[in-house]
Amino acid sequence: MAIRINPKFIDDLDRFGAEDVQLCYQCGDCSAICAHSDEIFTFPRKSMRRLQMGLERKIETTLEPWLCYYCGQCSDLCPREADPGETMMSLRRWLISRYDFTGIARQFYKSKASEIIYVIGIALLTGLFLFYYGFSRGDFHVYDGKEAFLPSPFIHAFDLMIGSLMVFFLAINAFRMWYFTMIKGVTIKIPWWLYVKHLFTLPWHFFTQQRYASCETSDKSKLYMPWIVHLGLMLGYVIMLVLVMGFIEQFQYGPEGPEINWGVHIFGYLATIGLSTGIIYFILNRLNKKKYIQYKKTHSTDWVFIILLLLIVVTGIVQHILHRMGINMWANIIYVVHLIFVVPWLLRMPFSKWAHLVYRPLAMYLAAVQRDVKVKQEALSKSLFISVK
Amino acid sequence: MEDCRIGVYICNCGTNIAKTIDVEAVQKYVSTLPHVVLAHSYKYMCSNPGQEMIVKDIKENNINRVVVAACSPNMHERTFRSALIKAGINQYLFEMANIREQCSWVHDDNNEATEKAMDLTRAAIKRVELHEPLESMTVDMCPASLVIGGGIAGMTAALELADAGYMVHLVEKEDHLGGNLVRVDLTAPYLYSAHDLLTERITRILNNKLVHLHLNSKVTNLTGFVGNFRATIQQQNGQVFEKPNEVQIGNVVVCTGYKEFDASRITHYGYGKLPNVITSFELERMIRAGRIETKDGKIPKYVAIIHCVGSRSMEFHAYCSRVCCMTALKYVHEIKSANPQSYISDVYVDMHAFGKGHEDFYRRSSEAKTLFLMYEKNDRPVIRRGDPKDDCEMLIEVNERLSGEQIEIPADLIVLMVGMEAREDSGEVARLVNISQDKEGWFIESHPKLEPVATTTEGIFIAGTCVAPKDIPDTVAQARATAARILAKISKGKIEVDAVYSEVNEEICSGCRLCNKLCPFSAIEFNEEKKHSHVISALCKACGVCVAACPSSALKGRHFTDAQLLAQIDGLINTFQCAE
Repeated sequence: MAIRINPKFIDDLDRFGAEDVQLCYQCGDCSAICAHSDEIFTFPRKSMRRLQMGLERKIETTLEPWLCYYCGQCSDLCPREADPGETMMSLRRWLISRYDFTGIARQFYKSKASEIIYVIGIALLTGLFLFYYGFSRGDFHVYDGKEAFLPSPFIHAFDLMIGSLMVFFLAINAFRMWYFTMIKGVTIKIPWWLYVKHLFTLPWHFFTQQRYASCETSDKSKLYMPWIVHLGLMLGYVIMLVLVMGFIEQFQYGPEGPEINWGVHIFGYLATIGLSTGIIYFILNRLNKKKYIQYKKTHSTDWVFIILLLLIVVTGIVQHILHRMGINMWANIIYVVHLIFVVPWLLRMPFSKWAHLVYRPLAMYLAAVQRDVKVKQEALSKSLFISVK
Repeated sequence: MEDCRIGVYICNCGTNIAKTIDVEAVQKYVSTLPHVVLAHSYKYMCSNPGQEMIVKDIKENNINRVVVAACSPNMHERTFRSALIKAGINQYLFEMANIREQCSWVHDDNNEATEKAMDLTRAAIKRVELHEPLESMTVDMCPASLVIGGGIAGMTAALELADAGYMVHLVEKEDHLGGNLVRVDLTAPYLYSAHDLLTERITRILNNKLVHLHLNSKVTNLTGFVGNFRATIQQQNGQVFEKPNEVQIGNVVVCTGYKEFDASRITHYGYGKLPNVITSFELERMIRAGRIETKDGKIPKYVAIIHCVGSRSMEFHAYCSRVCCMTALKYVHEIKSANPQSYISDVYVDMHAFGKGHEDFYRRSSEAKTLFLMYEKNDRPVIRRGDPKDDCEMLIEVNERLSGEQIEIPADLIVLMVGMEAREDSGEVARLVNISQDKEGWFIESHPKLEPVATTTEGIFIAGTCVAPKDIPDTVAQARATAARILAKISKGKIEVDAVYSEVNEEICSGCRLCNKLCPFSAIEFNEEKKHSHVISALCKACGVCVAACPSSALKGRHFTDAQLLAQIDGLINTFQCAE
């Protein structure tokens, strides 16, 4: 059965950043240079072709864009400047919008304004709610204890609520990703024990991002900096998330007022270092666009991500310092500002690039399962071919 | 016969000959043969010292026959003949023995190769004894030319000749000049207007008194030979045949062009049945009319362009038509600028972007968001009508090579890039001017690389798309090349005819006319009055077919007489009597 191509698809894809894909004439240099492309998962060439032809079903059921970490070598090499690396990035954006059942992600990618309105709207609601809560129950000049402007048990509950909302959306989207790639996209039923066999790849890739480290650079003598920084940023983020969701009470204040609780705070400081380094590194590289090709093109959604994170980290640090210095009123104000940024950040996550925190390790895991299936399938068809002969 | 004094020279050709053949043994051996006055071997006979050695020996030792055992005569016969001329003896008193290409290069056994070299040299010695001095003749060159075909090639050649101050008869069978280019709107890759290219030329032709334009005309007869042709030009106005016009010319340029492939021959493209499947020339007409639309007047949302229609297929024409790829890309730009909302699929086999500016043009077409889809040349797309629920009128089913997918391409308008083929009357033209055609009907050039516009008939030149498919720059270059060749001949005034040709002994000739039919160059005429055949020496290429065929041995090949050839054979099989 012939597949209908969709020449209109290219217009849709423009909005996700794949502006140059039609320049590709399929020489395959990109797949040849890629450190991760192999016989089972061949990219970016095949994905470029599917995009050009608008084979939507094929694109939404493939894991290949997630197997690329955008080292940018393909784009450097491309004889037609079709920018395969950026195309893979755009595909990931498109896939995020496809996995997202609410349509919010798609809206964000299509219009900058909608994303800014969403973020500002949630920020205002959060601010209003927290000030209302604080002024109606607590003391503006108290930071710790029961009389506090924002008591930590309340913040804990508030965080958990927002966190659950985020997890709710992420889980459904991740489930859709699994459904597209492992049910809709494959012709045979995948046995359950393969999922068990490869389960370890999920935490392994989540915590090490080992594949990113094996991206090659032209400068072989040095460590691959984007990987180290990316890993630091991610670990910082995850640690912070765990602290906020589980240990906010210990984290926010000690039993006898504002003192350092090293058992918890050491993690907080480490996370802050990871996050700050990452943010500074990304901002600098995206501004000077010289060293690594993957920072050359920045989608509007990428800037929203970086700026929000910068504001969160800065307000978090200021709030911490003010609190330790005993300037409680200002600590309270900055705390609210901090949360004004945190809440839209968390509620934006399932609909943005940051969702790759979940999608990418999941893709590594599902790809390991698929690889097993494909290798077996190939071996089987080969043996059949020989016996027919 | 005067005393026969032969000088033999054996070339080492560096080591090319000497490493296989014992050159000194050959030299010693041939010096013992009768009439051989001297024999030398030398490192490079073709070098200046080598030639000077021959000149010196002729002068000092009264040598009157020369044999050089070296490479192929194709390589250096001319070199050594000029040495003879320099020394003051007739150039035909010379023979070459090929002991390189036909001996040292192809044999491993040194002893056998040496023996063979001796045999070959001996055969040449035996032959050269019977060589006669021959003189080449000259004939006058008529400075007027005939150009057949009034397209871009014919007009360019005619103008080039007329601008040099010589008369040209330009014959065009249509009632207007311009040829196939008249039907084209813009040209690839720089999007120049074809109309502008033509009008400048047409105006100049019409205003040039040296160009005699014959519209609605055909050349019906051509006789004579290079420098002295007579052509009959027949004009036809409607059904009325005007009085034939006979002209005297020295050279002929044939630029009769091409015709487009008939797309209805490929049945599964549905051309002629599906209303919105059109050929590239029909699209040109739409573009010139200023509106690209479907038969029911709608703007097509999806346009598909199919390449290689009739070209590059074993079933129709195996060759590439050369211009269609870039023309298709030109349509991409023209369609996009007319209907920016249209989606264009370009269904191609290979993108041949060989010329100047072509690769860049291809890139710009990609930037215009054209979807390029590749098919295998022997697995052609199939066109069918779409269902009412589809948002397109037709669907093209094709096995897309770059993705490996069997796909359907939506289309409202399908443009078939029809290839070029030889005109149906090309055979007639070929017979008229006595040139050959290849199996596809294209005229054959005398050498594809070194003589691209000359033919095997002297004085007949070919240019443009009657030779093979080509684009405008190549066509114009060829047209100018024919003019350059002709002007070189005209400026010389006379043409030298090689002294080697066949002759009819009129006493013996019975007038059977067998040779007239066999001659591949139409060089033999029949004299009705005297009832015997006659060789036009200017046309004869000395192939020898007539000599072999003549039942009464009335034909003699000059420089290839029976006696000379038999002597050579005698020499080869060693009937020399050493005691003689």
